[in-house]
Order: sequence, then structure tokens, then C-alpha cells
Amino acid sequence: MTRKAGFRLIEHTADIGLEAWGADPAQVFLQAALALKSIIVGNSPVRGRDSRSMTLEGEDAGELLVAWLNEIIYASEVLEMLPAHFRIRALDDHRLQAEIEGEQLAPNRHRVAREVKAATYHQLLMEDTGDGWHARVYLDL
Amino acid sequence: MTIKLQKIDRYRWRIPQEGDMRTEGLVFASETMIQSLRQDQSLEQVRNVATLPGIVGPSMAMPDIHWGYGFPIGGVAAFDADEGIVSPGGVGYDINCGVRLLRSELEAEELRPRLQKLVDGLFQNVPSGVGSHRHDFKLTLAEERRVLEQGAAWAVRQGFGSEGDLDHIEAGGALPGADAERVSERALERGRAQLGTLGSGNHFLEVQEVEEVYHEPAARVLGLFPGQVTISIHTGSRGLGYQVCDDFLKVMHKAARKYGISLPDRQLCCAPLSSPEARDYLAAMAGAANFAFANRQMITAWVRDTFGQVLQKSPSDLRLNVIYDVCHNIAKWEEHLIAGRKRRLCVHRKGATRAFPPGHPETPSVYRQIGQPVLIPGDMGRYSYVMVGTAEGMAETFGSCCHGAGRVLSRRAAQKKARGQDVVGELAARGILIRAAGRSTVAEEISGAYKDVADVVDVVQQAGIGLKVARLRPMAVVKG
Repeated sequence: MTRKAGFRLIEHTADIGLEAWGADPAQVFLQAALALKSIIVGNSPVRGRDSRSMTLEGEDAGELLVAWLNEIIYASEVLEMLPAHFRIRALDDHRLQAEIEGEQLAPNRHRVAREVKAATYHQLLMEDTGDGWHARVYLDL
Repeated sequence: MTIKLQKIDRYRWRIPQEGDMRTEGLVFASETMIQSLRQDQSLEQVRNVATLPGIVGPSMAMPDIHWGYGFPIGGVAAFDADEGIVSPGGVGYDINCGVRLLRSELEAEELRPRLQKLVDGLFQNVPSGVGSHRHDFKLTLAEERRVLEQGAAWAVRQGFGSEGDLDHIEAGGALPGADAERVSERALERGRAQLGTLGSGNHFLEVQEVEEVYHEPAARVLGLFPGQVTISIHTGSRGLGYQVCDDFLKVMHKAARKYGISLPDRQLCCAPLSSPEARDYLAAMAGAANFAFANRQMITAWVRDTFGQVLQKSPSDLRLNVIYDVCHNIAKWEEHLIAGRKRRLCVHRKGATRAFPPGHPETPSVYRQIGQPVLIPGDMGRYSYVMVGTAEGMAETFGSCCHGAGRVLSRRAAQKKARGQDVVGELAARGILIRAAGRSTVAEEISGAYKDVADVVDVVQQAGIGLKVARLRPMAVVKG
């Protein structure tokens, strides 16, 4: 039986990494986004009031995953739109259509737990394990 | 992977050239440090860098080496202008993250009664933490482009500091060849609200006391004396630099394939120095580096204002002069003597500091007899060091030295260790005041999360690649 989708944060001396897994690449992209959200907003309650759609292109699924996480970082840092939910609309090896749902940062209700500089390519993993898909991404903090 | 290590002497370790390595690895470390380095992947990263085309001399690591992305943090590697490459991963996301040290005419004892007021003022006037910025300063896109091309000089022209400051900054506060046209709109967008901000994580602003002088003549030239108040500023190019790095990693993945460069880690992606991809990256990187110089210049001006306001003293009484400002994430064109021949090399320093020797033309004329100042921050509970570059370092490490203490605990492990501990209260009991935007930052930055920087600088001194001048003890720290 395929493992239930999920994520966990992994240790790195200077920074932090995430692992995500699921039945298919779309679930992995969703779980990786949830892992990143947990790092950026911590336990702050964020509502899905606004949404931001995007189409990303990449050389392979790994590059797309890094690009997707960097879009979430961009939205929260520059547009000050904190993420609540994510939707993966379409995904193949070179193209991702997805949506971030969230809301504008309100300092009285939200606290950004951490600034994430970027999702990196260091030891990047996005693979079919035969028992579902598995990804690993390190983040630069 | 087990990495072969050969002990050369007490402070030098060789990773012998084998497999796809084009040169050997050279690690500066004590026996104790090597034991802990074997636990993570940083030595493998030294090995990986040694596989890159056109590397000249060994792939090196300073004693503050720890596990990074692609390159180890503490890594130094030089590449030949014709055969070599440039790698954004060898510079890092925080392009020209660096340290600036200011001196003063104040003695720690006279400052102590006003210290709380001072740290509150600094916390108020210098934006720190996620998303904070000054409301009285806005940057237009046209001005931002000028920042990228002019660096610290742009800030001076806007009234932040004086012309004299520029003589005491690496490269005069502006790397040549910067081109704002090579920087993406998104990078400009990320940077616009972040010029003049400290950021979070390990960035800080620290008020210090000169606790010990090791080299009296050099200290005198730098204007340092025991009991004196100094100020350190540690920050970089903020979101603009992170975005430049991310943009060019994509470019370099394609370039590595195009030029047939095989990579042991995707984060090491790179392009030949003679390629248009490399030229574009170096022009964008120089722009981001200049943004960082301007950033530290603006923060300097706000530090001076705050000291003046709190202590009711004039700038000429305070004399908060820049001692020096060094980059520790950068790739630079430099001339080095290799086997008796002058060669133009692209030197990558990823978490390492340039440390040019006495007499070098790029060392400011006032410091030419003692060597370029090297600023090495430790952790917030212990001390930082001022060193100067040496002729031995120039010959052996392309004039490079360590940049800090180096983490030993992950952030989560540090938080766990700090749990139940009153970190702020314990530091206050030892006379160190902390103001931080985020509580978790303080827990993650506890002393125990870092190597003892004294051990790091001792290795540097014993190996002869840097010379200790003074030790600075923190009095007050502003964190993000």
C-alpha cells in the first residue's frame, strides 16, 4: 500500500531541510508547500482569503519543486501574502500550474516565524520510490 | 561517503586528489575540529569543489568550515581566467554578506549607565527582523539601479556618512563591473524595501568593548585601545542578493549542460569564466554586492545618529569611524603569484574573508604597513576578533582567512538546548543586553550553537594565515 502523504523537517547544521512524500508528484508538491508554510508562519492562523495563481516551467520535476517553493517565499516576503492552502492544478515534468491561497500579513494577528532566503538545489531529491513519490529540499535560512 | 584525510601538520589536513578531483583539498583545522567535521558533509563538499574545471591550487576550507550548499561554508577556491568557472553556489544566496567595524572615542565604563537606552535606540532606528523597514526612507526603481552601480558611494551621496568612510571599505564600497540591467525585476522588487535593514537569522548589530589587545602596534594603527567601545554590523544584500543567486542558479544549470561540465551536486552549477553566462552573473553579483555595501553604509549612519541622540555628544566627540568593512560571500577577480607567475584568478570566498598582507595595493594606505583588517564575529555571548592579513596567507590561501565561529548545532538543536533557559536574563547577568525582534532567533543563536571562535582564530594564527590584533566583548546586541 502506498504511504499516506506527509512531510517532516530535517536537520542541517546551518539551516533546515524538508522531506515530503505522497502517492504522486502533485501530492509531494502539496506536502512540500505545507512544510515550508510551517517554517514561515509557524502556528499563526492564516485564512485563505486571497489567491495567487501561477504557471511555472522547469527543466525537470526537481527544478519545478524548487521554483514552486521559491514562489511561496516570494509571495510571503515581497507581496506579504502569507500562505494558508495550496492547490496543484496540473503538473508534469516541465510545467506546474498551482495556486497559493492566503491572506495579507496583519501584524496584530500574524507573526512571521522565520525569514527563508531560498529553496536550494543542494542534494535535491524528487523520485519515484516504487511506493509513491519522495522529495527532499534544503532551505537557506 | 568516507573522505580520506592526511594530517600535514597540527593545523593542516589534506584530502588527497583522487577520482574526478582535479586538485587536492586543504583544510585548516585542529585535531578536535576534524573529529566533529567527520560527522557532517562539509569535507565531502571540499572534495566536490576540487572537481570543478580550472581550479588553481587546492580546494580550501578555513577552520570555521561547516556544512553549506554546494560549497562548504568556510570554502575558498580560485579559478583560472581561461580554463576556470564561476559558480553562484560558491558565493551563496546572501551575496556580500559581510561585517563592518566602527571605532569610537568612548570608554565602555562611561557608556554602561546609558547602555539600555542605547540598545533600545538602536533597535528602534535600525530595522531588524522579518519585514521591518524605516518609514522615512523609500527607494525608487531608478535610485535602486544607482545603488547597484555605485554601492556605498550612493549612500554617502544621499547623506549617509562621509566620503572618508569609503576608503575603509573593501573595494572602496563598490565592486567594478556592476550592471543593474543583468539583475532581474524580481530581484529589484525584493530588494527595494530592504535597503537599510539588518534582516534576521545570524545578522546582528553589536556594541562591544575592546577586551584585550594582542598586537599593540597594529591596534594603534587601527585606532583601537583596551576598554574602548566599538560597533559591529553584520548583514548583506538581503532579498536582492538571494534572488540574484536563485535566478543565476537556473542559468548555470543550463550553462553547465551546454558546456559539458559534470557536477557532483546541482548547487555547484557553474559556467566558464569566458562565457556570456559568467559575465552576466558577475555583473549581477557585483550589483548585489554593492547593494550590501550601501546597506551597511546606511545602517552606519543610523548607528551614529543613535549614539549622538542617546549620549548627547557631537560626531567629533564620538568619532565613530569605520575601521573596515569586509565581504565574506563573494567571487572576485584578483591577481596572485602562482609558481612565480602573476595570474588573474576568480577567487570564490563562501563564508571566508579576504585577508591581504601588508604592502598590498588594495589594502587602504593607512593600513598598508600592518595588513588588511579582518573582522571575525563570534557568538553573542562570547567575543569577536580583529585580525590582519599576512604574507604567508597571501602565498597559501590567496590571501583568505576565516569569517566567524561556524555553527555546530542546527537551529532546532539550539532551540532544544535553550529550552527552559532564560537566555536574555543570563546574558544580562553577564552585562550583555539583547534586543531581538523574534524570540526564536535568540534561542537559535545561543553561544553553544557555535564553535568557540577563539579556537578558530587560534588555528588561523598558528597556521600563519592571519594575525590576532584584538578581542572584542559584546555589551549590547540587536538581533533580527
